[in-house]
Amino acid sequence: MRVWDAALAAVRAQLRGAGLREVSTAIRTDAVAIEPWIEPISSAGKLLATSPELAMKRLLCRGAGSLFQIAHVFRAAEVGARHSEEFHLIEWYRDQGREEAGVEEGVAPVIGDVEQIVAAVFEGVAPLIADHGGVEPPEPPRRWRRVDLVELMGESLGQPLAGSEPADAIGALLGRVREAAGVRLGPGERPPRAPEDPELARLLAWTELFSLWSDVHLDPWLAALEPGVGVHVVGFPVSLAALAEREPDSCRAARFESHVAGVELANGYRELRDPTEQRARFELVSAMRSVHGQPALPMPEAFIGELDQLPPCAGAALGLDRLVALACGCERLDQVALL
Amino acid sequence: MDVSELKKNAKLEIDGQPWVVTDFQFVKPGKGQGLYKCKIKNMITGSVVDRTWRSGEKLSAADVESRKYEFLFSTGDSFTFMDSETYEQVELVADLVGDDAKFLMDNLGVDILSYNGRPVGLTLPSHVTMSVSECEPGVKGDTATGATKGATVQTGYELQVPLFIKVGDNLKIDTRTGAYVERVNQ
Repeated sequence: MRVWDAALAAVRAQLRGAGLREVSTAIRTDAVAIEPWIEPISSAGKLLATSPELAMKRLLCRGAGSLFQIAHVFRAAEVGARHSEEFHLIEWYRDQGREEAGVEEGVAPVIGDVEQIVAAVFEGVAPLIADHGGVEPPEPPRRWRRVDLVELMGESLGQPLAGSEPADAIGALLGRVREAAGVRLGPGERPPRAPEDPELARLLAWTELFSLWSDVHLDPWLAALEPGVGVHVVGFPVSLAALAEREPDSCRAARFESHVAGVELANGYRELRDPTEQRARFELVSAMRSVHGQPALPMPEAFIGELDQLPPCAGAALGLDRLVALACGCERLDQVALL
Repeated sequence: MDVSELKKNAKLEIDGQPWVVTDFQFVKPGKGQGLYKCKIKNMITGSVVDRTWRSGEKLSAADVESRKYEFLFSTGDSFTFMDSETYEQVELVADLVGDDAKFLMDNLGVDILSYNGRPVGLTLPSHVTMSVSECEPGVKGDTATGATKGATVQTGYELQVPLFIKVGDNLKIDTRTGAYVERVNQ
């Protein structure tokens, strides 16, 4: 119990100290961000928030400035050692609108926030772990490194990748990774036919390649790192970042993911601000969801309608339950759940 | 059935054979597709293979016959059950009972599955009531990670329970997760 008190206090002190204001947005909403594999839970005609992202960006559109929230979020059918259908997400945005023209900070400041939040929670929790039976508290990450996702994928798969390849160019790789991941087709089953729209085919192929590759190659790669090293994976293909801004002159998106001790903790973007592009990306993901037979989700019209007012900003979300579990040296989220 | 209904002990029909999920892990890379990484055991040959399904896939449940039995005794290598109506006895090898052995107490009612007339596995009731044989004393609030402590029940199974639980208390336990549900008066 005291661990949660210490962790929540550490997160709030860290983000308030960095000049962010705390907000609390509605849990039941009309629409959630349309993601390929995140399923909302419905609640009396509305949806439980899968993330406070859309609501917080709307506050930014209205001039709220830099802000954070420790939100309860809900994702259907995610149940496992490190997944729960309800969990705490620390979500924060840094308004970069007042930067001098031409200065593009991008995601660097929020990557810095991730490192400081992780350090603050480990530090806040450590004395409690030490008090309790004299167990040695787990080591926080002592240093952080960055690794380019597409380069690492190319390296581990033995084929250099740019991140923008069309579906048929990565078809053979996908076959190999499926095999390695233990995905098989039964007799009479056929692989689903690739859709004709090349953008949709690319989205499907990259999403599947990334999901299986993460399991077969990224997780073992992270596990083999020396202890005490945190990793920020950067350089995601645009196909894997539905709400992130495209990097200038590149097919990559300004998205990062942070891992500590093999656990994916945080995910952040330099936020996309173009309503037309945002709608097109949501529509493409909706088309992908219908290929997979997933239920249609309402278009977040209120969010798209205000998006042209979004100041340049970068934001991130960090799974607090996972961070608390790591800081306590626990493998499973239910070991640190209060009830 | 949809792959999201997969859980440990789910019975599946694959290539005309009954398989049971013996180990089950859900993983999901950041904003990627969820993977259900399973070990599945052929309920006839006992062979175990790794198999991964992805969110959105559809599976067929195996159609196996199920009848009610009571647990009688175990020799370690095998477990003997009796049909509650006909008093006919059947034996299951320990391999087929697996982890469920920790919930097998005298006279526990279970469903035994047979495939083409051969007993191939058992299904426990979703909850069982067991009594605490041993547990650490717990002091309110004196805990770092949560309001729980370890306890052992009559079959030797160990689980996490709230601090107020004492030796002799009867606990309702969820057999699918192995977790404490509540204290019951009995």
